[in-house]
Amino acid sequence: MYSLSISTSGKYISVAIHDDKLISTSSVLSENGTTNLLMKSIDEITKKSRIEKSDISVVYLDIGPGYYTSLRIGLAVAQGVCGSLGIPLVPVNGLDALAFAAHTGHRKICTIIDIKREEYAFCLYKPVPGGVVRDSEPEVLNAEILKIKLEEDNDKKLVVGDWHNLNENLFGENSYIKFGSPEHVSSENIFNIGKELFKNNDFPNFNEVRLEYMREPDVSFSTKSLEGKVNFHD
Amino acid sequence: MLDDQIILGFETSCDETAIAILKGDELLVNTISSQVDIHEKFGGVVPEVASRAHAEMIRNIFHASLNSANLQISDIDIVSTTDGPGLVGSLVVGYNFAKSVAWSIDKPFLTVDHMVGHLAAPLIENRTMKPPFMTLLVSGGHTQIVLVEEWDNYQLLGTTIDDAAGEAFDKLSRFCGFGFPGGPAIQKIGEGGDPNKIELPRPKTKHEYNYSFSGLKTAATNFLNNLDPNDKVTKADFAASYQEAIVDSLLSNFVKAVNETGVKNISGGGGVMANSRLREKMNIFAENNDLNIYLPTPKLSTDNAAMICVAAQNNLITNDINADDVRLSSIIA
Ligand SMILES: [Zn+2]
Repeated sequence: MYSLSISTSGKYISVAIHDDKLISTSSVLSENGTTNLLMKSIDEITKKSRIEKSDISVVYLDIGPGYYTSLRIGLAVAQGVCGSLGIPLVPVNGLDALAFAAHTGHRKICTIIDIKREEYAFCLYKPVPGGVVRDSEPEVLNAEILKIKLEEDNDKKLVVGDWHNLNENLFGENSYIKFGSPEHVSSENIFNIGKELFKNNDFPNFNEVRLEYMREPDVSFSTKSLEGKVNFHD
Repeated sequence: MLDDQIILGFETSCDETAIAILKGDELLVNTISSQVDIHEKFGGVVPEVASRAHAEMIRNIFHASLNSANLQISDIDIVSTTDGPGLVGSLVVGYNFAKSVAWSIDKPFLTVDHMVGHLAAPLIENRTMKPPFMTLLVSGGHTQIVLVEEWDNYQLLGTTIDDAAGEAFDKLSRFCGFGFPGGPAIQKIGEGGDPNKIELPRPKTKHEYNYSFSGLKTAATNFLNNLDPNDKVTKADFAASYQEAIVDSLLSNFVKAVNETGVKNISGGGGVMANSRLREKMNIFAENNDLNIYLPTPKLSTDNAAMICVAAQNNLITNDINADDVRLSSIIA
């Protein structure tokens, strides 16, 4: 059986075809407005893998956090493929995928994903045998608060994800914080967790897959209204 | 014409998640899931909210549409979608969903300009409509007079220089607390009102066929701000008068364009074309001047995917212009 893994939450459009191991992968930088390259990438790796579309039996999708429009393109494509081929869609949280890919054995893992407008999704993980567990609830922070969070205790930490998007002067000399990889979520990271979730049947119904926006939508409408203030004759 | 092919169409350019299936001249399904309830509390369409809603609703509407047509996905011959113009965050959802469906089932993927969809909409119910015809496309995002000389030859004769007609309805309705969307709300409140009770301007622009609605909105809000209880102006009178001003403005340029070009066929489309007063006046104009009129029914005037299917069926597509992305401007220029 073959799986298709998709990650579009950040600057890269990353897709991969696996059976038990990697068959073919592609990662392209997504300039603004070229996020529609996703279908092209999927088409290319499918051909390169010499498989039929109907051979794909599950899709693992990065559901965020990350860039909203890019995430929605990933979701739309995954839903279209799964809905048409009649195969399951397994959602994977990007913070979890980063942490799982970074587990080292001793350091705590701090995952950071840029969600634009100088805000970052953040979650802390503890390494455990064979993987990681969340040590905090995922939250949205600005750079200043993020720095406070990272420096509030002397635990040794490994920071992964979009840390290079932070101002490099933000952190001084600090021996207990290390910055490492992965530096962005990849389809490979998504596959590694997705396949476990799939094996354990630990994923929601197709209709219940939701993106991890982690922020309410902006509503910039003026609510100024004359409602009730106009002197109508009725 | 793709006679008996089964065409699946998507339309998500604004706040309607719409899917249709057309086979020959038989419209098998025309599903429109409006987000009005969601946007009502804001008094307008909030792009980020619209985009989130499309992303969550489209899969259900897709399955429901296939079910109600009693079709399997493998029965579909062609997949079509609008590729713009519209709200980017909304467009990319339908566009990418449609593209991935076409890819999955190995069928052609045809993209249709949203405005071309509107001008082709009368074909769904009336296969005899033929160019040349003059059409008035009016919605929350557009106010256009388009001369369709051939099916692939459009001349944009007039457009709005500020607000679209639908916006003029929405903004005033929000201001008065009448409800959203503004057009249907004002039409309803204006029922039985006197359309000539309140004198409101019919704005003119330098270019003979262009529109401007911001002055009308300002005049109307000024009027309301200075309204005295002794004036005995009812909501119904005010709404009817405001609607009449918009309808008159829309008609006057359109009539001029029709008369000056001498076309014998007229048409219309867009959400505002669902307004009953505008339809009435369009029909009267056609009758008095011996013109053939092809107005889509209100449900096919507002945004829908059947118009995308029928445009694709008649090869009114944009694939060669930009096959890999959504567009912000119309090919009608
Ligand atoms: Zn429209």
